[in-house]
Amino acid sequence: MNVATEQEAYLEAVRRALADLDPAVRDELLEDLPEHFAEVAAEGDATLTERLGPPEAYAAELRMAAGLDVATTPAARGLDDRVSAVLRRARGVVGAADRRTGPLLGYGRASEFLRMLAPGWWVLRGYLAAMAITWLTSDGNEAGLLPRLGGSTLAAALLLAVCLVASIWLGRREPTLASVPRTGLAIGGVALVLFGMVVFDKADQYGGGWNEPQSVSGNPYEYIQDVYVYDSNGNPLTDVSLYDQGGNPIQLGDPYRCQEAFYQAQAGAPAYPYCPNQQPYVVAPRPGLAPTEEPQRTELPLSEVPVETPGPTSTPAPTATPTATAVPTPTN
Amino acid sequence: MRSSFSTVDTTQLLKGVLDLAVLAVLKDEDGYGYDILRRLRTAGLDEVGDASVYGTLRRLFQAGLLTTYVVPSEEGPHRKYYGLNAAGRDQLNRAGKTWRTFASTMDGLLDERGVAA
Repeated sequence: MNVATEQEAYLEAVRRALADLDPAVRDELLEDLPEHFAEVAAEGDATLTERLGPPEAYAAELRMAAGLDVATTPAARGLDDRVSAVLRRARGVVGAADRRTGPLLGYGRASEFLRMLAPGWWVLRGYLAAMAITWLTSDGNEAGLLPRLGGSTLAAALLLAVCLVASIWLGRREPTLASVPRTGLAIGGVALVLFGMVVFDKADQYGGGWNEPQSVSGNPYEYIQDVYVYDSNGNPLTDVSLYDQGGNPIQLGDPYRCQEAFYQAQAGAPAYPYCPNQQPYVVAPRPGLAPTEEPQRTELPLSEVPVETPGPTSTPAPTATPTATAVPTPTN
Repeated sequence: MRSSFSTVDTTQLLKGVLDLAVLAVLKDEDGYGYDILRRLRTAGLDEVGDASVYGTLRRLFQAGLLTTYVVPSEEGPHRKYYGLNAAGRDQLNRAGKTWRTFASTMDGLLDERGVAA
């Protein structure tokens, strides 16, 4: 007989002999048998039946060793039976999902993967426990992400260390505990997770509050307090008004920045700069355009630039006194 | 008749201690099903049944005493390895003590009555 078909036939016979079991339980029991039979078959020339005995006996042995010797009958008579049947079905569904999602994670079963994450959960649980202790002892005033016991970072580190070690120790002992303490541990874990979600949500809102002013700002000119206009020769222009395409005066900055501007602002269109003596820099003249007088200007200290009272020496070019050309007549 | 009775006897005994035996051969090194079977037979448990070992592994795994992982192999199928977790090690220590107490009690009982070893 073909080796593969013999193994399949044997497996099928074992499956038939276990037909009374819950399908999920049976599939789980048979899950690794093909691999196992392949190993046995590779060992020698004898058939599987010769080596392992009849499939029915094999199935019986398997059933007994797996602790399933009490055949689970689908007949549900009492309430207990019905409840246990529902539980069995639920366990079957969970088990099937466990097996199906396992390969996606690269494991035989999802639960194997989850079991490896257990130490991570222990650490998280220790941290959450430290947070909970801090929160309870500070009447809920402490909403940070470090368990600052009484506001002390040292106490926080100590408390955190103690809680982490305790949680890990508990985690390692958990499988040996009786069912009541285990249930207590599970309930405590769920409570800690809920508590953790509340704390993180609070901490997140706290952090979000700080970011808000920057994140809502949509106007790139919001920070502008004053406007300085220079002509092509680098001369600062004063009493400049700005208008948009509809002839409406453009209001930028803070007209009350300087005392002088305060009165001008009453008149209508704002005249920039509000504070002419606070101009940010003096631009060196473009060589071709302003030949002789300009270099002297750059040497003047900023505060002494007499922009407010334009004299013949400081604003030599006629285009530098722009009030007539720069201010269009408003159309409205 | 005599020998078949003795076989049943060993099987009965094995049933009680197979858990302990399987945990013990996994103490130092993880193994896959067939490998574990071979270790038990090498250790002298010739009577141990293939399906018994396999079923025991499933049951110990269900009881949370073993971890399992799949190792791809170049030749043949992927192998599912079993290993002891912390609970499994605890269980091995406790069951080992129980067995040693039980075995020495039985030895004492037989020695007193002069039953040949």
